[in-house]
Amino acid sequence: MSNSSTTIDRQKGFAGGAELFRVRQIPDSVESKPVSHVAADPPSVNPAASKAYYFWLMMPAIIVLAFISIYPFFWMIYMSLHDVDIGKVEWNNFENFTKLASDTRFLMGWWLLIQYSVMCLTLQLIIGVFLAVALNGSRWEKVLVTTLLMPMMVAPLVAGMVWYFLYNGTFGWYHWLFQSLGILGAKSILASADTAMLGLVLVDVWQWTPLITLITLAGLKRVPQDQLEANMVDGASPLRNFVSVTLPNLYPVLLIAIMLRFMDNFRFIDSILVLTGGGPGNATKILPVYLFEVSFKFFKLGRGAAIALILLIVTIILGMLLVRIFDRQQPKKA
Amino acid sequence: MFSIPKNAAYQRINRRKFLELGGGAATALGAGGLTLGLGSTITRSRVQAASTDDAKWKQYAGSKLVFMSENTPPSFAIRDNIKAFTDKTGIEVTILTDDLPVVQQKVGIDLRGGKADYVLNYVQDKPIGSPFADFYADMTPMFGDETLPQDPEGYGDEAWFPNFLSACGRFYQKGKIIALPYDAAIACTFYRQDLFEANSKDFEAEYGYRLEFNKDSTWQNVIDMAAFFKKAKEAGKDVPYGYAQHQGSFAWTTQLDIQRFLFANGRWMDWNIDDVYGSKEPGKTNWGDESSIAMLGKFKELADVCHPDNLANGTLELNTVYQSGNIAMQTQYHEFAASIEDEKTSRAAGGKTAYAPCPKGDPKWIKNGGEAVNGTNCGIGGIGINGNASDDLKRAAYIFAIWSVSQENQYNVLKGLGGTPTRKSVLEREDVKKAQQRPTHMPNALTFDPVYNFGIKDPNFVLGPKIPNGNEYHSILAAEVQKCLSNEQSPEEAAKSIQTQLDELNGAG
Amino acid sequence: MASREVIQYEGWPSKVFKWFSVVFIAFYMVWTVLPLFVMFMSSFKDLLEAFQIPPVGDWAGVTVFFNFTPTTKHYYELFANLGFSTYLFNSLVAAGGSAVVSVVLGSMCAYSLSRIEFRGKSDLFFWIISTRMAPVVAVLVPLYWIFRELNLVGTLPGLILAYTTFNLPFAIWILKGFFDNVPYAIEEAQMVDGATRLQALRAILPLVAPGIGAFIVLCILFAWNDYLFAAIIGSGGAKTLPAATRELVQPQNIQWGQIMAAGVVTALPMMFLGLIIRKYLVTGLTMGAVKE
Repeated sequence: MSNSSTTIDRQKGFAGGAELFRVRQIPDSVESKPVSHVAADPPSVNPAASKAYYFWLMMPAIIVLAFISIYPFFWMIYMSLHDVDIGKVEWNNFENFTKLASDTRFLMGWWLLIQYSVMCLTLQLIIGVFLAVALNGSRWEKVLVTTLLMPMMVAPLVAGMVWYFLYNGTFGWYHWLFQSLGILGAKSILASADTAMLGLVLVDVWQWTPLITLITLAGLKRVPQDQLEANMVDGASPLRNFVSVTLPNLYPVLLIAIMLRFMDNFRFIDSILVLTGGGPGNATKILPVYLFEVSFKFFKLGRGAAIALILLIVTIILGMLLVRIFDRQQPKKA
Repeated sequence: MFSIPKNAAYQRINRRKFLELGGGAATALGAGGLTLGLGSTITRSRVQAASTDDAKWKQYAGSKLVFMSENTPPSFAIRDNIKAFTDKTGIEVTILTDDLPVVQQKVGIDLRGGKADYVLNYVQDKPIGSPFADFYADMTPMFGDETLPQDPEGYGDEAWFPNFLSACGRFYQKGKIIALPYDAAIACTFYRQDLFEANSKDFEAEYGYRLEFNKDSTWQNVIDMAAFFKKAKEAGKDVPYGYAQHQGSFAWTTQLDIQRFLFANGRWMDWNIDDVYGSKEPGKTNWGDESSIAMLGKFKELADVCHPDNLANGTLELNTVYQSGNIAMQTQYHEFAASIEDEKTSRAAGGKTAYAPCPKGDPKWIKNGGEAVNGTNCGIGGIGINGNASDDLKRAAYIFAIWSVSQENQYNVLKGLGGTPTRKSVLEREDVKKAQQRPTHMPNALTFDPVYNFGIKDPNFVLGPKIPNGNEYHSILAAEVQKCLSNEQSPEEAAKSIQTQLDELNGAG
Repeated sequence: MASREVIQYEGWPSKVFKWFSVVFIAFYMVWTVLPLFVMFMSSFKDLLEAFQIPPVGDWAGVTVFFNFTPTTKHYYELFANLGFSTYLFNSLVAAGGSAVVSVVLGSMCAYSLSRIEFRGKSDLFFWIISTRMAPVVAVLVPLYWIFRELNLVGTLPGLILAYTTFNLPFAIWILKGFFDNVPYAIEEAQMVDGATRLQALRAILPLVAPGIGAFIVLCILFAWNDYLFAAIIGSGGAKTLPAATRELVQPQNIQWGQIMAAGVVTALPMMFLGLIIRKYLVTGLTMGAVKE
């Protein structure tokens, strides 16, 4: 079986790839260089080989990425320094940036983004970790985890539509449920500035708590069982054990989960655009939503670029932190 | 593309193998890229002024045009009916439709980028016309061009309903027309006659006048009615709420909702600018003055007795609330009548709904010495031609534009999917006249009397404000008023905050 | 034995915890499935049926949810009249195409990155991954401009390229981890036996093939579920399912039955794919940081 699958893979799966390899390959470098040296440490690196060969292999991807990331980046910087209004592009002395300092929607946007993220993450962590602990090793783990996967696969836009339908004050079943349970007054959850944010958080919790659960489950498998048992013999309670052994082991994976979710909140606004569009009264206008509005509704491309640039820089800083955590997580070879 | 792995692999082969197969199938597919590009092309045969009409219509036979439109009935109807146009002219038109905010984005990017991907645009007056007016071609030179086919009814103000051409065609400078009225959405009052009749006695006992709605009914009456229904509903009676506003997430209709209310009471306007042409430099706003604060207080008073979901109901949602029988009255755009009268989707169909002009201002409320009117506003969707297009492309687009707004075409749309005519002559047709009474096969026609014969006429009608920053103005206004309605700030704070932000926006601080 | 003793330590808090867990899990599963269930059921309802809802507090009234005559007309309408077969096709091509482009270019790049060391490698690597993290809204305007210049707007190749902005860095990042785990000695042994470098590379491909397959699927998932790129860059000629679903919100009637049906059409294939690559999902969604 495995034999035949390999054949299929070679012939079909990577015929295209192999073609590309052949075209870009430099014959000289393959033939002339000696390849006798055994790469012992690190095992995957091939120190003796010609670098050119590898650089050629790398090039297509790098070129594509450069094209779709560096150019837009410079474009963004250029636009952010200019007044791009009806039919003109004028240098404006950093006004796009200085004005942001007094733009309450921009400042509120950050504040709401943080609020939103903190609410989402807190709930997701508490529920997700608890769920993982409860599920871990259970007879039904496999089936239940499979069920949990489903929301993550749903397009955020579709998720937004479905929840919009559920929240609707006229025919929404969740609205009916919340009211029947007495936890919501006559106003539907998105109709009030006090609860609209919570409405968005619930959708995010629904969609992404399972990810935290899955990550935690993966982390739990790595918790040293012998240490747990040893502690128990010493009389530690399960709760104490959880706090002193399990949690410290989970901490690194959870940190990564938090960073990734936090950054996704910057990236995805599909469901928010559908659910509230930032309202009522700016109550849910988190920064990316405001940016969308500035660029695509007000067509203030200069201001939009300035906001985008700031957002991008913050994301990159977060990304650097994340990569550092990654590195700590998987110590670099050599 | 997954048919191979799905059928072959799904049942018999394990997951690992499936993945490998998937890789193969996907590679094979990636190789054959697909291009479904868009673009307009032009082929032209020369005509002269003396040529036959047919030759003029056919001069661009073989050309292709792209029309970017909102997903409203006229566009669907025209798309269904496009063969008639192609037969007449030999021009192929691709009609793309989207939700208004998306149309706004795409058209905006196209125009601002100096491109003409969409040579024909749906120019919704304020959201698209105000910010992009300068990018549209002036149609006036083509009106009299003898080498182009022309509509026998012409394109002057008298050919359209009052104010329509001004609303969608005139921006910032005199003598230029950037769009012809294509469809219209005019606010009017929809109310449940059956419920009004059933509750009339109780209402009269409490308020001392009959529960009925007509052109003299004021916003104070609306507050009374909404309060009455709300109280009855909350006392457990089998009635819906009375009224709801357009206060959801669609900032533009939210602005229109507020504007109607303020305009009705003393013809108050946001800026002292020409209502027809608007202004690129509107100067200081009137927000924050005594009138605006007082009216916002009244607006809030109304909101407090509205359907509880008031702040989640954009225009569409509001209509759904009405359709599902959850409110007794709404101020809605007349194009929605077709959906209300559809028995399959509406509980307010079958003669239960009556139509009237927008509510009138209350003289007792007025602070600015103005007149109380039935403040009515609109969204007039024009059809405009991208100014970035080449001359020939513009001419070909013009042929489509005048065809799409011709009497014949508008009549067909009205008969088919339920459009909203913009040409006066459509209403003069016998069967359209007849359709204004029940039973009707053109439900939108039921609104024609309050709308065309009353609401859109001066002094009731307000067109503007047309300012380049229109969309941001809508957004600021909507957000601050919503905050006021949800008790986060007082009407005075809201009005002042609007004032500060708008003046900053227009550089008039 | 130690573990026997342990069990005796379990007092009432453990029992309470267990019971609470069971109840909580049950509740959470319902909460997870319910929205999807409502979507599924509502896609078979007529508009007025979908509006039926019991009075507040009338728990017995829940049965009205099931009180309808199932109709497949929404699905029929989507595919027969609203062009959803085209949109489905566009979604397949755009998502599949970008996945393949990303994984092919990505594995070449990842393979090389994994085989050599050079100065600035970590910077290059960071730059690659940061392009993946950029907020879509932020890069949308400039990308649109570039694509417009190249006449890629409204075309499937354009959309494929747009999705490559986030799929390619993702693929490089993940696949590098895969190649790192394949010792160079294997290739070397092949070459000692007279294989060319290329043949040696092909010899190790089967080792990474399942992973590559899984990440093709993940890339498909990311691209399929996108809305913003589809709405702005795919506009016109390359409308995908999410963009088409959004368009069903029409000014005069929100077509809930059709929207729910479109939701089912969009979500089901991805759920199916998600199950298939279940094993790689956590790795993929955490950018390779967490392995199961």
